[in-house]
Amino acid sequence: MTACASNRAVPLIAAEGLTKCFAKHTALRAVSLSVARGEVVAVIGPSGSGKSTLIRCLNGLLVPDAGTIRIDGAPVDMRQQRAWRAVRLRVGMVFQDCSLFPHLSVLQNITLAPVRTGRMRREQAAETARNLLARVQLADKADAYPAQLSGGQLQRVAIVRALAMAPEALLLDEPTSALDPEMIAEVLDVLRTLSREGMTMVIVTHEIGFAREAASRVIFMDQAEIVEQGAADAVLTAPREARTRTFLDKIL
Amino acid sequence: MQLIVENYILFGNGLAWTFGLAVLTLVFATVISLFVGIMSITRNRLLTVAARIYVEVFRDIPLLVSLFFIYFGAPLIGLPLDPFSAAVVTLSLWGGANGAEIVRGGFNAIPEHQRTSAAALGLKPWQIYWYVIAPQALLPIIPPFTGLFTLLVQSTSLAALIGVPELFRMAQIVVERTTIMEGYSPAFTIFGAILVVYYLISAALNALTSRLERAMQHRLKARGAADMGSVRRQAEESV
Ligand SMILES: Nc1ncnc2c1ncn2[C@@H]1O[C@H](COP(=O)(O)OP(=O)(O)O)[C@@H](O)[C@H]1O
Ligand SMILES: [Mg+2]
Repeated sequence: MTACASNRAVPLIAAEGLTKCFAKHTALRAVSLSVARGEVVAVIGPSGSGKSTLIRCLNGLLVPDAGTIRIDGAPVDMRQQRAWRAVRLRVGMVFQDCSLFPHLSVLQNITLAPVRTGRMRREQAAETARNLLARVQLADKADAYPAQLSGGQLQRVAIVRALAMAPEALLLDEPTSALDPEMIAEVLDVLRTLSREGMTMVIVTHEIGFAREAASRVIFMDQAEIVEQGAADAVLTAPREARTRTFLDKIL
Repeated sequence: MQLIVENYILFGNGLAWTFGLAVLTLVFATVISLFVGIMSITRNRLLTVAARIYVEVFRDIPLLVSLFFIYFGAPLIGLPLDPFSAAVVTLSLWGGANGAEIVRGGFNAIPEHQRTSAAALGLKPWQIYWYVIAPQALLPIIPPFTGLFTLLVQSTSLAALIGVPELFRMAQIVVERTTIMEGYSPAFTIFGAILVVYYLISAALNALTSRLERAMQHRLKARGAADMGSVRRQAEESV
């Protein structure tokens, strides 16, 4: 942390010219994105515009066909799975669908990675997990299994599981899209708290209200490209591009 | 009944050969199943194609034909096999091919996002398989696997046809000998008794399975895992 605080000019995540093709379909066309420490970037855009592809390229779940990624200034060797694993230890991820491991308890879901990647000893990991669970009001669910939890609870556990690795940034791909309306709020509350505490986040979302209040920057994507980006208020209230306006009109 | 008592040494020996065949076959078939099943889900094209060819060959040829082919064919490539070895090899390969399909089905039933989210946590590929995928894939395939075991035990009787002195072959010998020496055929009684023995072996195996299955379901229910049933159905369909 101290090393980076001394060099605030270097973005935590800096992607340049990311391109990703599936067969002959281009899902991402020369996209550049830079995220500073403590920044909360909301990515919006129609379905199929490449939002998921973009954030999956940031931690190597998809390997970009072209482009470069720097984490804290250091370039990632994108052909090396080992290099991507190093990125994933620093940049956590939360998915849209409930991605908890059904055969493990909530506590085991959270401690698996910290213990197996050698970050923490088992007792220390369990303690961290319990503290984090308490912070999302799930202290009593440590020994429950995923099938016993509601969608909102599952998603809060998924966030805690990512946080247990003490990541420097979080990537979230539509973390509330699969939830019933009454559960969206409880998950957004957690994310709001994280953003207030200075967690760096890139979050794909359709929650425009949340983006407006919690995001420092909003990116609008369409057809594999970033069409427009800027301060949340600017992009959401007074978009410069016609495509952004059309999209916002449609979903608001 | 008297015939069985009189020939108890023959029948005892036959039963011992049957057990030997069954135990060796089950062990080898399980090892092959896991090995080839896992081969077929890797991303290495060479491995998956090799596994595919092996599985298709043994599943598409009648077991008896494979048995004869291996028993009579092995000497031609300078590898003479005694009947017992030929039977173990054939049954293991056949069981392995069918078991590999069960294993593959079990792994394929695990949704892709399980692998993805484990990878996103920084786990290595072997850790993902060992801690996340395998436990979910292997528990539900135990029941279909035991079904395969029962089938394999029953199929050991085919070894009689290449001259392995196992239970069924012994029964044939006693029937033939009595027919020649005593002038009447005890076929019905003897084969009836043999049938009961095979039934008992299979029933014992099945009882073991359902115990295992109940214990498993109990455990899964305690965990509230709802979607294990679908994993198992898919694993069974692939048999
Ligand atoms: N694994 C894949 N194989 C083939 N095409 C894909 C794959 N993933 C995404 N795509 C395609 O890439 C485009 C962008 O997808 P995605 O990034 O998921 O969009 P979004 O998240 O914005 O809805 C879509 O047209 C989609 O069909
Ligand atoms: Mg998406």
